[in-house]
Amino acid sequence: MTEYLIRRVLQSVLVIFLITILTFLLIHAAPGGPTQMMLSPGLSPEVFKQQAHNLGLDQPVPVQYVRWISGLLQGDLGYTFKNHLPVADLLWPRIGNTFILMGAAWLLSLLIAIPWGIYNSTKVYGLSDQSASFISYLGFAMPTFWFGILLQQWFSLKLNWFPLSDMHTRGKEGDIGDLFMHLVLPVTVLSLGFLASYMKYARASMLEVLDQDYIRTARAKGVKERKVVFHHALRNALIPIITILGLDLPILVAGAALTESVFNWPGMGRWFVQMATEREYSVLMAITIVTAVMVVLGNLLADILYAIVDPRVKLGKQGGKAA
Amino acid sequence: MSTNPSQLPADALPSMETKKAAELKKPPGPWAILWKKFSHNPYAMSGLVVLLFFIVIAALAPVLTKYKPEAIDLMFANLKPGVDGHLLGTDELGRDILTRLLYSARISLMIGFSVAFASVAIGSIIGAISGYFGGWVDTIFMRIVDVMNSVPTLFLNILVLAIFGSRMEYMIMILALTSWMSIARLVRGNFLQLREMQYVEAAKAIGVSSWGIIFRHLLRNASFPIIVNATLMVGGAILSESALSYLGLGIQAPATSWGLMLSNAQEFMLIDPLQAVYPGLCILLVVLAVNFIGDGIRDGLDPRQQLTKSRRRLDKWRKNYSKSGN
Repeated sequence: MTEYLIRRVLQSVLVIFLITILTFLLIHAAPGGPTQMMLSPGLSPEVFKQQAHNLGLDQPVPVQYVRWISGLLQGDLGYTFKNHLPVADLLWPRIGNTFILMGAAWLLSLLIAIPWGIYNSTKVYGLSDQSASFISYLGFAMPTFWFGILLQQWFSLKLNWFPLSDMHTRGKEGDIGDLFMHLVLPVTVLSLGFLASYMKYARASMLEVLDQDYIRTARAKGVKERKVVFHHALRNALIPIITILGLDLPILVAGAALTESVFNWPGMGRWFVQMATEREYSVLMAITIVTAVMVVLGNLLADILYAIVDPRVKLGKQGGKAA
Repeated sequence: MSTNPSQLPADALPSMETKKAAELKKPPGPWAILWKKFSHNPYAMSGLVVLLFFIVIAALAPVLTKYKPEAIDLMFANLKPGVDGHLLGTDELGRDILTRLLYSARISLMIGFSVAFASVAIGSIIGAISGYFGGWVDTIFMRIVDVMNSVPTLFLNILVLAIFGSRMEYMIMILALTSWMSIARLVRGNFLQLREMQYVEAAKAIGVSSWGIIFRHLLRNASFPIIVNATLMVGGAILSESALSYLGLGIQAPATSWGLMLSNAQEFMLIDPLQAVYPGLCILLVVLAVNFIGDGIRDGLDPRQQLTKSRRRLDKWRKNYSKSGN
């Protein structure tokens, strides 16, 4: 187990390292590169050169990379070009806002999807199962931002039940009820996507377990169907579901760029889109790296969870002690 | 009516027998089985019809409408549907909405299919090399897959389009470069199994080169799962294109796309709420159609698919039987 853990952690570190290189090279492959962006074009050539030198932009790319990464390791995400503000100070509150939005959507869809999926696995092709698969198809094929726009038109402009966009009404920051009203529409949009996949997974995972021999044995022994489903089957069916939840954790931070843009939610995704059009490279790099680190950590967590929950997982080499 | 057996044509019986023998000799091929199952699947068939419909109207766009998608006519801005020959009305610049929908279908379908094609090409080659040769090549390619899977796809797409400019070629390229990983994994997995087959050994024995084995023997045997995955990829690419265009980083103004129309419609939501409905509906229909087709192909290729049907019947029968037995 320890050996497996160490190997997975080292692998994750390698992947993160490669991602930093990829991102850095991408930015420096840009026509004009960061130099063009950071310095105003009106400067005379001498001043331009001097300033580029002061910022270290005239050094070879590997040197710049080392400087950037050593700053990154100390938590220094750089400064914005325009106002020269530290990126980290701007980033964390936005991550928090995204987390509020995604966390609510994630919890809601889990609470609906897993029980529903389990129920459907006991009544395959029933009315409930059919409507669930209809919702799944819709969730996979519908452009989320379109769904958002439609909700805005109906529930905000026409019926005036919920606010059109933003996170707070002006002057009402900190009011939980106000925040809740602003959450309803975007959470609905995001939940549909989550619901579509989680319901499918829960159902498929249960169906696979219900097909096993030990379930048949339990039924043959005369165990009540209720107990078979909840006691014998559910525990094993939850294992792959837990893994998928682990894999999806990073989405909590990264996945809402579109919904945030539709509802003008002050989160990280919308910020990324805005900064992309303004070519704020240090912000773009910071967000890409932060999200990538979260994805890698989520994968690692999922693997570890899986190894803990399921003793059947072969832990790498044969000598590894399966707990 | 009485028929004398002797009056039957002398060659009737033997000919039927030879026909039967021929049928026995030649069982239906995989494509025939696939088509049979596919054509009996109502979802898959309706998906096919819808997709063909969109392909036809996209191809015939200049014939079907007399307007130009980018033609601005401020005299006829914000017309209601059906006024002055504008079937779905006009937008805030007087551009005919139906025309723009038709021309957008061209862009979406073209991007969807080219991205799927490109990522299948990249994914198959990398997966094939990785699975067939194994060793350090495999390790390197799989680490690349890990890296690509760990970069948030939408962010990477936005980043590249923001840096290099929003051109359609770039969009196709970056969408393909961020979606080949699942195909590579799939092909690699298939190849790990297939390379142990005896016909591979036989091919090696008669001196077929590695590339010959990969392209002529193995890739063909792995083609069905690739096709399923590629079909589903078309839908994903169309969704990504519309999302990027909606965010303002995809298709740019004089050209048109469903995503771009939606971002436009959101601005003028108060004036004309219907404008936001059509493009989204088109995206939904096309993606749904493609997904149904993909699922239909997958089910058609799955030999267990018939089994589950009969098992369901068996379960029903068992249930009834045990009830009456108790």
